[in-house]
Amino acid sequence: MKVSFEVNGEGHVLDVPPLRRLLDILREDLGLTGTKEGCGEGECGACAVLMDDALVDACLVPAVQLAGRRIVTIEGLGSRERPDPVQQAFLEEGAAQCGFCIPGMVMASRALLNRCPQPSREEIRTGLAGNLCRCTGYERIIRAVQRAASLPAESGQPASVETVPASRTVTASVDGIPAYAPDDLREALEILQTQGERITIIAGATDLLTDVKLGNRRPAAVMDITRLACLRGIALTEQGLEIGATTEFAQVARDARVRRHAPALADAAATVGAAAIQNRATLGGNLMTASPAADAPPVLMALGATVTLTSAKGTREVPVDSFFVGYRRCACRPEELLSRVSIPLPPAGDRQCFYKVGTRLAQSISKVCVACRAQVDAGGVLSGVRVAAGSVAPTPVALPEVARYLEGRRVQGSDAPEVMAAAGNIAAREIAPIDDVRSSAAYRSAVTRSLVVRFLQEIARS
Amino acid sequence: MNRAAGGLIGTSPVRLDGWEKISGEARYVDDLSIPGMWVGGTVRSPVASGKIVALRRDPSFDFSRVVVVTARELPGPNVVAMIREDHPVLAADRVRFVAEPIALVAAPDKPTLAAALTAIEVDIQPDEPVLTIEDALAGKGPVWGDDNILAEYGIASGDLEAGFAEADLIVEGTYRTGHQEHLYLETNGMIAVPRGDGGVEVIGSLQCPYYVLNALTRALSLPPEKVIVRQVATGGAFGGKEDFPSVLAAHAATLALRARHPVKIVYERTEDIRATTKRHPSRVSVRTGVKRDGTLVAADIDVVLDGGAYTTLSPVVLSRAILHAGGPYRIPNVAIRGRAVATHTAPNGAFRGFGAPQTLFAIERHMDRIASRVGVDPVTVRRRNLLTTGDQLPCGQILHEPVAAGLVLDRALALSDYKGKRGKRSPSANARTLSGIGLSVYYHGGGFTGGGEERIRGKASVRFSREGRIEILVSNVEMGQGATTVLCMIAAQALGLPLEMVTHPYPDTSQVPDTGPTVASRTTMIVGKIVVDACDALAAKLRAHLAREHGAEERAIRFADGSWWAADRQLGSFRECGLRYLDAAGPLVGDATYRHPEGLRWDEENFRGDAYKSYSWGADVVEVEVDRDTLEIRPLRATVVVEIGRAINPVLAVGQVEGGTLQALGWGYLEEIKMDAGRYLNDRVTTYIIPTTLDAPAMQVELAEFPYERGPFGAKGLGELPMDGGAPALAAAIEDATQIFAAGIPITPERLLRLRIEEGGS
Repeated sequence: MKVSFEVNGEGHVLDVPPLRRLLDILREDLGLTGTKEGCGEGECGACAVLMDDALVDACLVPAVQLAGRRIVTIEGLGSRERPDPVQQAFLEEGAAQCGFCIPGMVMASRALLNRCPQPSREEIRTGLAGNLCRCTGYERIIRAVQRAASLPAESGQPASVETVPASRTVTASVDGIPAYAPDDLREALEILQTQGERITIIAGATDLLTDVKLGNRRPAAVMDITRLACLRGIALTEQGLEIGATTEFAQVARDARVRRHAPALADAAATVGAAAIQNRATLGGNLMTASPAADAPPVLMALGATVTLTSAKGTREVPVDSFFVGYRRCACRPEELLSRVSIPLPPAGDRQCFYKVGTRLAQSISKVCVACRAQVDAGGVLSGVRVAAGSVAPTPVALPEVARYLEGRRVQGSDAPEVMAAAGNIAAREIAPIDDVRSSAAYRSAVTRSLVVRFLQEIARS
Repeated sequence: MNRAAGGLIGTSPVRLDGWEKISGEARYVDDLSIPGMWVGGTVRSPVASGKIVALRRDPSFDFSRVVVVTARELPGPNVVAMIREDHPVLAADRVRFVAEPIALVAAPDKPTLAAALTAIEVDIQPDEPVLTIEDALAGKGPVWGDDNILAEYGIASGDLEAGFAEADLIVEGTYRTGHQEHLYLETNGMIAVPRGDGGVEVIGSLQCPYYVLNALTRALSLPPEKVIVRQVATGGAFGGKEDFPSVLAAHAATLALRARHPVKIVYERTEDIRATTKRHPSRVSVRTGVKRDGTLVAADIDVVLDGGAYTTLSPVVLSRAILHAGGPYRIPNVAIRGRAVATHTAPNGAFRGFGAPQTLFAIERHMDRIASRVGVDPVTVRRRNLLTTGDQLPCGQILHEPVAAGLVLDRALALSDYKGKRGKRSPSANARTLSGIGLSVYYHGGGFTGGGEERIRGKASVRFSREGRIEILVSNVEMGQGATTVLCMIAAQALGLPLEMVTHPYPDTSQVPDTGPTVASRTTMIVGKIVVDACDALAAKLRAHLAREHGAEERAIRFADGSWWAADRQLGSFRECGLRYLDAAGPLVGDATYRHPEGLRWDEENFRGDAYKSYSWGADVVEVEVDRDTLEIRPLRATVVVEIGRAINPVLAVGQVEGGTLQALGWGYLEEIKMDAGRYLNDRVTTYIIPTTLDAPAMQVELAEFPYERGPFGAKGLGELPMDGGAPALAAAIEDATQIFAAGIPITPERLLRLRIEEGGS
């Protein structure tokens, strides 16, 4: 397929297969080898570049999504004569050792400083958490970003040339699979109505390109839905929050309305991968992938959310509780598109939590995650209790028994420890964890129990 | 020469390879393309152990488009030459680990290669693999030889029996460490280019150009003059590109010669994790006799390393492991036995620290165990036993150089406020986390073990070029550690020249002599010293020439303030005089060969004597938080004090300490290889977990310096030292927080939970 886009201020029109990775396009088609491949699954950040000013991992951006995009790579950042302040600071602080992670690290630092010109140490650590370095221990890199923030912000970025117009719906080139990138919902639904069975829908592509790389998926045809403006964005209505399916986690995490009414969801969104992943991965994608380890589904279950499935024939609403029908399988039919997630407004005094125990503190997949919500009255009596968990069963799971047990019980007073312990035990019985590469069944069970108790202790204390 | 001129040593100029790395201009092997270049790939074993029955080619694929090489089509003996000749280029009859190479394929492009690789089917009759140290010791299999023993060494000092008789109590423990993957950000990669003369040139990401050269001459049956090895920008190595590139180079070169095209092989990450070396897993049993106050009187230590399927460097790793097994402690009566055993896993190899981190973990944990048994704190038990100048090591070496163990411990305790923080587990009953602090003391021998440096007899040259620059010609590589900058600083200082006048080109075996490999914390200390000698030789040649030129006596010729002088007569700048030399006398090159320091002796047969030329010393204090409920571990702060003789470039030195410390911490609690029938389950960056910025603690590093007379400008070894102390200090901190004693790493939350249940503890 033909795509036209801009790299470091220069327009390009290329004829490439729709799933060709931006990383390969940069390195092999354009000869821009500064962008490195360290893992090919969005885990190391060595290929991080800016796309329309947002940090993304180039290994997770397929060509089909490139039309009209503005890419900046390390080659477009600064020159020896006029280095970007980030580059100058990295040099002066001795932040580079082997140098392989550095182009991505510099781009991540640039993206952070663009968004947050005077970051704290914690903001720097969070902003760079998706960029692995094996040489430095990060200390000098963190200092370099601090120093860059204090340098005059003379940007070495090239002046933008006129933006290349985005091409509309595109279809297969000779050697590629059919690819669609509609900007009209009706058109998208018609394509699904006729070809839904063979079409793989692309939003953030963070799971898809990893699966393709691992040989787990070979799409027969793809449709990019990120050009459908109606699927993106957050709205607050009288009923609650409406979040479009292709809204990225970065937006969910930062949105003031989400933070206010669904703080557990904002917390979960902020733990998905790290910056570059949060800029790409979408709420709808996190549901459609139907991974048992996905972070958003347990929160959405706890918050009583529903999803809207749209097809050419109409729409239907499905509670997230019953959306997952098996391991990596969901209720969305081939002709349907998950268009939005609706979260009812919480009652006053609602308490929510999202606890994620990952393989590490960032850029990690859950070993266990637990989401809870309840209202607690002045006497410490619970109502509206909902509990759900991830990575403890073949699908994300609601834990109705523990919720039922807790409904109307007191979490203050002398029986509280007994109530809490019992709730923890019920939760541990309700799940079906396994031993796998990330953790053990015993650990998952113990931690699920502990985290349910933790939630109860925390709401009891305040 | 006027060594004071320049005053570079101890300053921190910006690293010379800084801009090319920060701008993305540095070219790593996968960034290179050569006209007509093909790509290579490898058909690998799906099982850990078995007999190769057949290799079937799918007839629907047109194999005339590609080149396939099996063990039968190799151009030379089926051997990757290392210490022993047991490592085949390609498995011939049997496979001995998952991902063992069985056939090689080269194709004009990636899609064709992928299609060819799937069109080759390997039929293997699997048998029961030997996967644990215990099974290997029991002689199961056998995987290797008659008994699976790849190497066995022992050292002893004093009278063990008398020592134990003197003891008030016996303290015993067994300590285990797991595989560690290097996870250099750049995977292994190599390009081989066939030459018109039937020879081959390989270009790669590697630490040891001459190791690769030797392996290629053997595997390809080529004379050394027909093989050239060139290093290019190397994206991290940590030992992972010490021995393994010999395998990869043999593969790429075999394909290139066969295909008559340049062939590039760059491993995809999963292939790299499955097929390349790891840190040796270990089991170390320590039995000590101790006086009531914690004084050590006897130690009987048994070290077993899991070497994987072939020998690689295991005997050398084992020797370093046992030579560090006593820790930085005075043990009057001691016996240390070491064995490296074979299992059906990928051969383990070099990894920063090279056996020492494993045994130092064991002895440091054991010191904590002794402390709690005798009822003193971990600092006191260490102070009672720490080595001091003049003490003797188990191998018989007398420590004549200043021993800094006490100094680094004192500084680390003071900087971290260890005493104020120890034993304060929890600020309040409601706190979600427990806090803890722990320490370790360690040392690391610089340079090769025993007589290694004498055997290598490294040679270095410095050459004055037409461009008016000094080129350092050594086989040692820049791989991130700062060798280029440090060697150039050393040469600039030795010649009294500005740093900008000195370069260290990427080593190319057709241009540089064999200075030995880039390993063993030897590049600054050993190679740097040879470079100083080479600079002296160059200066002497120039001085002699100038004396002839000006009819002066040699001793009247001096270099000062950027100029050569004959008495008070200015003869010109270094550049001017050097160019005159080139015109009049031809190439201006200074050569030097490693000189063995006088008075040091090593008896290889009995493993006795001066095991290392010098030791560097370190102490770590690690502070952690452990979640009460989830047992998640968060290292908060690491305070590291190291004594390294003299830091040539303090910023680079501190960078080495910080990076090594984080690798050590990662090994201690995050990094784990789980196995299923010999297959590594953690074979992706998503599942092999290394620390991110959020996992890394804040670090405070202090360099202590007792200049080492025999090193260049006082420098000793540094690169590996910071790998030694992080894991035991972390384990001690976790124990302080949770009261759970972990004798094995990684200390994952899952392991802590298991220990908590077993102990019935809090």
